[in-house]
Amino acid sequence: MTDVELDPVIHAQARLRVVATLASLGSHDRIAFPRLQKLLDMTAGNLSTHLRRLEEADYVLITKTHEGRTPATYVELTLAGRLAFETYTQSLRVLLGGAS
Amino acid sequence: MTTDDPKDEAPTDADATPDLATALAIIAAQRHRAEDTRPSGVLLFGIWGAAWLVGYGALWLTSRDDGDPSLLAVVVAIAAGVAALVVTIVHVLHRTRGIAGASAREGALYGIAWPVGFVAQSMIVGGLAQAGASGEVVALAANAIAALVVGLLYIAGGLLWRATSMYVLGGWMALTGAAAALTGYPDSYLVMALAGGGGMLAGAVVVKVRARD
Repeated sequence: MTDVELDPVIHAQARLRVVATLASLGSHDRIAFPRLQKLLDMTAGNLSTHLRRLEEADYVLITKTHEGRTPATYVELTLAGRLAFETYTQSLRVLLGGAS
Repeated sequence: MTTDDPKDEAPTDADATPDLATALAIIAAQRHRAEDTRPSGVLLFGIWGAAWLVGYGALWLTSRDDGDPSLLAVVVAIAAGVAALVVTIVHVLHRTRGIAGASAREGALYGIAWPVGFVAQSMIVGGLAQAGASGEVVALAANAIAALVVGLLYIAGGLLWRATSMYVLGGWMALTGAAAALTGYPDSYLVMALAGGGGMLAGAVVVKVRARD
């Protein structure tokens, strides 16, 4: 067996979904919180919790801004987050390939 | 191997570590879901293909006898173009809402290139008419230059979004306009309807079929 390890920050059902979605956007793209929530079918509270965990790991960048008078929150994957996701995906493939 | 839809997971399982195959399936599912943030090539090629087929088709059908399209055909052609434009704008805004950053900026700049291209096209056509070009020359040039603008912008879009189908279709549109000019008036309209409109509809089918693989 290989000694490949899966990043525990990403290797959790909900956070994997969040990171995979953010990684599908172009690099340097931000997504509004409600739109991300819709793409994930998650509650706002649930999504916030997981985003906080990802933010602590420096995998996502959360920007709070105003659109007119309405506050808006944007989320984007950092370069570190993108790299971590790519490493995670590669590790998955290695582990799955190595298992056979 | 688990093939459960990740969406079916209860919130309490959100912190659970998925098994490896499920993890890959989750990634694939979310990648597919995120397609919703990009305009649909199938819809855009389809709507524009239909607009060209109907619009240019109407122009050709009514200009075979006396050489000039009927007023009704001109109205139909303009309405088809306007309808396709409205659908395009609404669709693109709907799909890209809530997305900001690099691609939003590129998309906006790309969007501005369209009116720029068409203002230039109408100025060139106006210039030709002013210089004494016949109605036939004006009609041929207007079509060919419009197709060139559309074709080159599709090529640029294909490069921007790494969409080979869009790039290929752009080349096809530019050459269709050129071939229509060589064909001569009013059969140029038929070339635009069948090769141009038909080409885009074929492109829509190809993108649809390839997306299913």
